[in-house]
Amino acid sequence: MDDDFDETSDAQLVTCVARFDEAALAELYRRHGGAVFGLARRVTGSVAEAEDVTQEVFLRLWNRPEAYDSDRGALRSFLLTQSHARAVDVVRSRAARSRRELREAGRTPRAGYDVAREAWDHVLAEEVRRALATLPPDERRAIELAYFEGRTYVEVAAMLHEPEGTIKSRIRKGMGRMRGALAASGVQGLER
Amino acid sequence: MMTHDEAASLLAALSLHAVEAEEVARVEAHVRTCARCQLELDGLRETAAALGTSVETLPEGLWSSIASRLDAAPATPPAAVTLIGEGPSRRQRASLPRVLALAAAAVIVVLAVSLVNANSRVSRLQGALALARQGVVAQALATPGHRLVTLTAGASRVAEFVLVPGGRGYLVSSSMPALGSRRTYQLWAIVDGSPISLGLLGPSPRSVAFTLADAHATVLAVTVEPVGGSVRPTSSPVADGRIAA
Repeated sequence: MDDDFDETSDAQLVTCVARFDEAALAELYRRHGGAVFGLARRVTGSVAEAEDVTQEVFLRLWNRPEAYDSDRGALRSFLLTQSHARAVDVVRSRAARSRRELREAGRTPRAGYDVAREAWDHVLAEEVRRALATLPPDERRAIELAYFEGRTYVEVAAMLHEPEGTIKSRIRKGMGRMRGALAASGVQGLER
Repeated sequence: MMTHDEAASLLAALSLHAVEAEEVARVEAHVRTCARCQLELDGLRETAAALGTSVETLPEGLWSSIASRLDAAPATPPAAVTLIGEGPSRRQRASLPRVLALAAAAVIVVLAVSLVNANSRVSRLQGALALARQGVVAQALATPGHRLVTLTAGASRVAEFVLVPGGRGYLVSSSMPALGSRRTYQLWAIVDGSPISLGLLGPSPRSVAFTLADAHATVLAVTVEPVGGSVRPTSSPVADGRIAA
């Protein structure tokens, strides 16, 4: 395998990774590392933790390339799904500690919505931001709290003082709308 | 076991990793047995990933730190069997007990190579066809009397077709997730309650033209079929949409 990977598809690069081609992993890191790191940093709010997550995601791809099934979607989505899952783990293990402290202090966690918005500009691609902006605010808020702050829908419901079923259905409707809007804008998830 | 409706109501939250741990296993157990939920979840994960797309600059030194751990990674499978002919490599330093796992991996790699080649050839072809068809679709959309048919899966719009007078039809847009090379989407018209095949859409529909001769068709539907297609649907539709009279 030569080192000129410009024309090589992600799926082909994963095949090279399965043959222990380090240059192929480096190319995948070049293509997707920024997104993997960015999402982890966004969710954990910490550069150091995001670096750990990014390392884990790429080491896992190196050790278990067969876990990626190109039938199921783009590699970018696969890597971001993992980055998000790991980042959420980090946040939740942190939350398990601080929740106790909060209970003792008799306070309820606040949504931090405006803080979340602050990072949009450089975190989200333009089309995604535009699609999010078209969502009804309560659906957008539920998705943001779940996705970017690593909350479960049960936790989001408690934070917003809404029934769990309401939050579940806001997330569902909002994600359906996002999908439709991204499809309409031609972005529709991520092309492989 | 969770019902289909219960599981379906949690798929969006699952794609955001926002389902409580004890519920995750039950949803996933259902998804493994339900092609429709699996497709829906794959699509939602693509949307979630789009949400998480960012433009961050990578910290300096992160790659070297990853690269330095590649050899040392504990689970690195040794690939001695598959590596023959590729020159010496770090794999040959791997420990013997992993050779069995490796043999299995070798089979997967060989299969993957042929699938990947097939896939990329198909997508190149589809790319070329897509360019040629863009003009045709634009023309169809400008034709007086054309009808748009929107196909939905659950609450989501997943594809749109245009039908022009005379019976020609074209795919305008699709967000149906790619299937890979062993399965294909197949398009059906429902006429008097019976499905009539309009043709194969391929595993990742981008540009499609078909003829719908029967004016009584009321519904367009898409199913997932084994590669090569089926004479009649072998599974329930993953998406459907009513044809306006």
